[in-house]
Amino acid sequence: MHIPDGFLSTPVWTAMNIAAAPAVGVMARRAQRGFDHERIPLLGVMGAFVFAAQMINFPVAVGASGHLLGGALLAYTLGPAAAAVTMTAILAIQALVFQDGGILALGANVVNMALLGVLVAWLPYRWWGAGRWRRPAIFLGAALSVMVSAAAAISQLLLSGIPMPEAILGVSLGVFAVSALLEGAITVAVAGALETMQPDLLRKPAGGSFAVGALAGGAVLLAVVGVLFASARPDGLERLAEDIGISEQASALVATPLADYEAAFFEGEWLRKAAAGITGLLLIFGACVAWGRFAARKRSA
Amino acid sequence: MRHAVLDEWSRRSSPLHRRDARVKIAALLVFLVTVAITQANFALLGPLYLALVAAGFLWARLPLGGALGRATVVLPFSAVFAGAAALAGDPHRAVLLAAKSYLSAAAVLLLVATTPLPSLLRGFEGLGAPRFLLTVAQFLYRYLFVIWEEALEMRLAAASRGGAGRNRGARFQAAAGLLAVLFARSHARATDIHRAMLARGFNGRFELLEEPCLRAADALFLLPAAALPLALRLALGGAA
Repeated sequence: MHIPDGFLSTPVWTAMNIAAAPAVGVMARRAQRGFDHERIPLLGVMGAFVFAAQMINFPVAVGASGHLLGGALLAYTLGPAAAAVTMTAILAIQALVFQDGGILALGANVVNMALLGVLVAWLPYRWWGAGRWRRPAIFLGAALSVMVSAAAAISQLLLSGIPMPEAILGVSLGVFAVSALLEGAITVAVAGALETMQPDLLRKPAGGSFAVGALAGGAVLLAVVGVLFASARPDGLERLAEDIGISEQASALVATPLADYEAAFFEGEWLRKAAAGITGLLLIFGACVAWGRFAARKRSA
Repeated sequence: MRHAVLDEWSRRSSPLHRRDARVKIAALLVFLVTVAITQANFALLGPLYLALVAAGFLWARLPLGGALGRATVVLPFSAVFAGAAALAGDPHRAVLLAAKSYLSAAAVLLLVATTPLPSLLRGFEGLGAPRFLLTVAQFLYRYLFVIWEEALEMRLAAASRGGAGRNRGARFQAAAGLLAVLFARSHARATDIHRAMLARGFNGRFELLEEPCLRAADALFLLPAAALPLALRLALGGAA
């Protein structure tokens, strides 16, 4: 789901661009490490492959078909950093040449599909991709990648104050769930075919403890569900934020330097919503970091 | 195909085509932000913004109807959310969503239709985007239609082999096999390309025939191009 320009509110697209820019820079450096410019043609051509994969239809039900979205497959074949760079390049070309997704919204789309989508796909594969859980891990990674991208996009739209009646929200989540399952099935089938044909094309998963993988996956799921819930019903978090006093501090912080210019623009409803949403994100992020630290310590102990 | 038209447009010649990619990108960003922060008085401002974009297309001597028609590709997506907003009892926002996404797409189209992609990506590099990413994007665009045609041919070949059989599971497997072959072929092609490029002295960067350099005309373009939409917004858009 490519968000066009004009949909996201200013704080949301600004925040997403600020988040995406350094992350893409780090990914680009990681993807380049030790390869010089050798990987440029590979990444470019594989990006073109993901575009072209839209032409191949997979039958779903009578009269309905779907196609590969590709983030997970790229992660399993190129590695997460190179896959993130390739997906970013795809999104940039789509936004520029095909008017599919906006330029200001590029940061949001990159966060959703190139960063979250690829990393979420890589997690299960990295931990469970080696043993007898390989096929479920590939399926889970691909399905999660679509689901997480969609949930993040919906959260950003909700945070931007785009009204979505419950029924429409429910229907779109249902549609995304179906496409997530389909992406899982397609990715498993394509990865299986690749394995019989040319197994060296798929990356060797690092493997590791089942429990750590479960913890990481659980943290990601919790974060996505939490963010979606928080943006759909900001009231609870808002009250929490107000209780702690974050909301007032945040509005003081944002409003002061701009007070002379566009005070009215920065006041009121959306700021509280944005503050609540960002607070929620930070809380969840903190919880994930703490969880990760705990898991790592337990592992090394 | 659609891309061929854009490529042809971007290589024509006009005062707008000749401007440095960096100032055009800067002007586009100002325009997009201005549209994004416009809330009040949109009934008046929207058409004025559209007139600005249309003037750009005319100045670039590009077919106005074709260009504005091409920008409608965003409308199906916007219509879904605009419809939802209208259902939720917020018709003003519904109009805003559709109009803003259309205006933004038309403005991006104006940039892409007056700047060849290599110059455009070099412009983004000049503005600080990572070169590795941009080179990958340029490669992607170069091979996009090559791999696309290959996918079309493979699909046709699969259909002639009886790929439209009745059993859904078998068709699913066949499609997966097809994609796997396409993947492996693309991979092998990338290796060949890389070898050929090394042999020709590729050093990780695409060279332009002309190095971009900022001229006085570029500054003269940027000033009004950036100031006009902002001035409209400030004069007519109110405080909120």
